[in-house]
Amino acid sequence: MIEDKNIIIELKDVYKSFGKHDVHKGINVKVPQGGITVILGPSGTGKSVLLKEMMGLLLPDKGEVFIEGVDITKASKVDLVNIRKKFGMLFQNAALFDSMTVYENVAFPLREHTKFKESKIKELVIEKLRLVGLNNVEYKLPSELSGGMRKRVGLARAIVLEPKIILYDEPTTGLDPIMRDVVDDLIYSTQKKLNITSVVISHDIDSAFKIADYMAMIYDGKTVLNETKDNFKNSDNPYVQQFINGSKDGPIKMF
Amino acid sequence: MDKILTIIGAPFLNMASGSGKFFLLFIESIVWLFRPPFRWKQLFKQIEFIGANSISVIILTGTFTGMVFAFQSYIGFHKFGADYMVGTVVGLGMARELGPVLSAIMVAARAGSAITAEIGTMKVTEQIDALHSLAVDPVQYLVTPRILAGLIVMPLLNSIAVFCGVVGGYFVGVKILDINKTLYLQYMYQYVDLSDLYNGMIKSIVFGLLLTLVGCYKGMNTEGGAEGVGKATTESVVLACVLILVFDYILTAFMF
Ligand SMILES: Nc1ncnc2c1ncn2[C@@H]1O[C@H](COP(=O)(O)OP(=O)(O)O)[C@@H](O)[C@H]1O
Ligand SMILES: [Mg+2]
Repeated sequence: MIEDKNIIIELKDVYKSFGKHDVHKGINVKVPQGGITVILGPSGTGKSVLLKEMMGLLLPDKGEVFIEGVDITKASKVDLVNIRKKFGMLFQNAALFDSMTVYENVAFPLREHTKFKESKIKELVIEKLRLVGLNNVEYKLPSELSGGMRKRVGLARAIVLEPKIILYDEPTTGLDPIMRDVVDDLIYSTQKKLNITSVVISHDIDSAFKIADYMAMIYDGKTVLNETKDNFKNSDNPYVQQFINGSKDGPIKMF
Repeated sequence: MDKILTIIGAPFLNMASGSGKFFLLFIESIVWLFRPPFRWKQLFKQIEFIGANSISVIILTGTFTGMVFAFQSYIGFHKFGADYMVGTVVGLGMARELGPVLSAIMVAARAGSAITAEIGTMKVTEQIDALHSLAVDPVQYLVTPRILAGLIVMPLLNSIAVFCGVVGGYFVGVKILDINKTLYLQYMYQYVDLSDLYNGMIKSIVFGLLLTLVGCYKGMNTEGGAEGVGKATTESVVLACVLILVFDYILTAFMF
């Protein structure tokens, strides 16, 4: 069990369906402040939906979502906007604004929420792009970039305001092994340097164990286990073991 | 029995909840007009896109409509020896009816569809979610500037259409059909009032609102990938055109 102190995000008994498709059937996740929580689970189990519920982009049908103790499922539109300012989010497919250049994409949050001068904005944008390993792409459009590059631009955009909580939806999927390591490292060092809270969705069990402080596993719309990394690793839960070992035999059915 | 009721009732319920959502979007976008920050850059971009880029289409549509209208009305008036009435009919028809309706339909086809395609693509590629996640309201950022641009631009485009129609009608009437120039102009000035132009202007403002609002509404509610975007775009043009014609009737009934 994760201790009840310093919980920054908590989902309590969350249910969510799209039409007849029940995606969440009782999700419980606690995210402690100031660490990296990695959420694992086979694809299609609603991990992206889970992240969207955390910042109120989707509302659960039932259940509560607490951000620093405030239930955002009951928050007003204005409160929700203010709560979202605490977050940065990297979308699974980056969700870059395709009518804007890379530079304008990363500068967008700065222009919207700060009064920085253009010179300062430029400095920050270039700095963040360097941080994710991108050079000389500032004036390209997202359509001119590879999938991995788009993802890194999305990452730069998500961290440029240095938010309190950063949500990463499969930040390393589709990257080459070296870039994967760079991004893992970036997530890790950003978290340590700024003492923020990170939630990372991942498929990659090795990198998950490398960066995580806490872990959660989702399967069939429910939380299988939400634990500290060590307890998670040593758990004898058959679902967790099957996922860690990457075996096709076990309680998790892929169809 | 229940099943039959469900089958018959569903489209009506969908329509009711649809028009409710449509109306809410309208209210929301108007509210954002009065709340900072105001998006000047977006507004100018949309004025250029909806307005400036439509001018050539509007010139062509207006001119040819006026020309055809002159020919058609000539056939009737010639039988009564009232050839010179062609100018009056072309002027009235263009100002009150054809100018506003045809320019709005052309802009719905050109810009309304593009608005739906653009916003719809943003919806299905999660760019709308990305705006939310960056604490920027998509209605304020995307919808309000487009609706405002539609309101500003349509009456101007309408003026161009009416002007071109009248010029086209004059060309056909006087130069091709050889109607007496003085009489043609005299009767046109006499029977076409400024109030006829105002009526048309009011219509085109309403149409400008309708076609941009429909474009945004269909875009914001797009679902289902690239296919969904195509479907939403088609629906947007059809709905905009139908609403333009329905509101044309309502406005005409009210104003005349
Ligand atoms: N906006 C939506 N409308 C309808 N169905 C959705 C929507 N978002 C997600 N889903 C469905 O929910 C399920 C879980 O999706 P997702 O969270 O993307 O899975 P994961 O990220 O774990 O791979 C999928 O079957 C998907 O089709
Ligand atoms: Mg996903």
